[in-house]
Amino acid sequence: MSAPLQVYEPFRAGLPKLGRYWKSLWSRRTFIAEYSKSELREQHFDSVFGQLWMILNPLLLSGVYFILIVIIRGSSDSARYAHLTASLFLFYLVANSLTGGVKSVTAGQRLILNTAFPRIMLPLSAVVIAVFKFLPTLFVFIVIKAVVGSPFTWQMLWAIPVLLITIFLSLALAITISCVNVYFRDIANFLPYLTRTLLYLSPVLYEASTLKPSLHALEIFNPLFPILDAWSQAIVHGEAPQMSSLLQSLAWSTGIFFLGTYFFLSREREFAVRL
Amino acid sequence: MSSLSAYNSHITNELAVSIRGVGLTYTTSIDKKPTLKSRVKSLGRGKKQTRVVRALDDINLDVQYGHVLGVIGTNGAGKSSLMRCVAGILPPSQGRIEVYGSVSTLLALGVGFNPAMSGRDNVFLGGLAAGMSREEIASHFDEIAEFSELGDAIDAPMRTYSSGMYARLAFSVAATVRPDILIIDEALSTGDAKFKEKSLNRVKELRSDDRALILVSHAMQTLRETCNDVAWLHKGKLIQRGEPNAVIDAYQEFLHLGKSAAIDEDV
Repeated sequence: MSAPLQVYEPFRAGLPKLGRYWKSLWSRRTFIAEYSKSELREQHFDSVFGQLWMILNPLLLSGVYFILIVIIRGSSDSARYAHLTASLFLFYLVANSLTGGVKSVTAGQRLILNTAFPRIMLPLSAVVIAVFKFLPTLFVFIVIKAVVGSPFTWQMLWAIPVLLITIFLSLALAITISCVNVYFRDIANFLPYLTRTLLYLSPVLYEASTLKPSLHALEIFNPLFPILDAWSQAIVHGEAPQMSSLLQSLAWSTGIFFLGTYFFLSREREFAVRL
Repeated sequence: MSSLSAYNSHITNELAVSIRGVGLTYTTSIDKKPTLKSRVKSLGRGKKQTRVVRALDDINLDVQYGHVLGVIGTNGAGKSSLMRCVAGILPPSQGRIEVYGSVSTLLALGVGFNPAMSGRDNVFLGGLAAGMSREEIASHFDEIAEFSELGDAIDAPMRTYSSGMYARLAFSVAATVRPDILIIDEALSTGDAKFKEKSLNRVKELRSDDRALILVSHAMQTLRETCNDVAWLHKGKLIQRGEPNAVIDAYQEFLHLGKSAAIDEDV
């Protein structure tokens, strides 16, 4: 049997051959699964208390924000709490993808310097980890929803496409920010402020419908706004979300994804000398 | 990219790696850690943020199966850059590299990219990233653990490892998966005398097994003993290549004198 031949030649600026890149990414899909598993295990999510913390942490978080809302508004109700928890949990899917993704490439330094593999696996794994952290919170929300007596309808199934778009958006953001962090290492330090700002600009602590008309620009310029609104419509209120919200968020995600992925793929071959 | 599973039959003297006119130029940042802050601060001052490094210049080399090529040179000679090119980690800026087989790299100790995870996890992750399948790694794992002599420490987080343990595990991984072409970058010099002996024996074993080896090392005696060929790099150029003793003698003479006719050319 003859050995496979590999040829390495100078690359021109731009993208690598996408077909071959995809093939080599696909053949390493077990890496992504294994990496996420070991990462979660390392954070003790395989133990009872680790899993309990996974549920307790978002619950405490939503509790803290609920207190904030009650104090600022002077009154509150259970429906508002359901909206807060659902939106907060989804927001943290995006936020965790960002915080996990930002250092994914720079932390993988040893691997990048020593092994040839599609670098995009690293931010991809960060998003997979964020999704695994998100899933248990979904069950917590279902329980909360049942307890506060919010209606369960078939329209809630709209949450599935909404979730898929959110994961796509998270992936797009993680890829982009992991690449930016190679060139500007302090982005990771700015990130907490960025996510905090995004949280306040998004319909999490308030509902999109209660927003003053003068602030409607938020809906246009915040990529998270339409998707969080659609999520609340579907899973909290049990109504079909506005098609325009879905399309708008899909457009945002696709735009960021193509831009970020182009940036990443055209740069990843020089990551080894930048780290 | 192919898997690391070895294609067992190699004909001795068959070409394993062919490097033709390879040059490597890259831009890297001047700061160790480039930040937005430093970029903003230097805005409008025309301060340069990057510098261009010419790491390799018109290198021509062949490695045959059943041969061991030693690579020597001072720090910054481009040895590691050349190895990264052969492993497909850095694409060359000029020229062409052809690799006939699977490559396993042990460049500055590759495994252990996540120190918080155990040695076992790191071995699996490193192997998976290199394109091996889970089963392939699992089938080699016991041998790796045994060769590394880590014992129970294999399940301890890698941040608890000593540098010797690190090196032992890294060498064990690279040498156990039995790649067609093995690149070892300055890893033989780590570990205690006993392990050094053991790894040298493994290198010789791999050579008699008709695999191709590239050793980057500063241990001249080891190179004299194991290599068929030695290439001497200096400032990205191939100065001399040939019979180990002759090249190493010339290199050592150069180290004492500080310069030689071959290097003064074209600086």
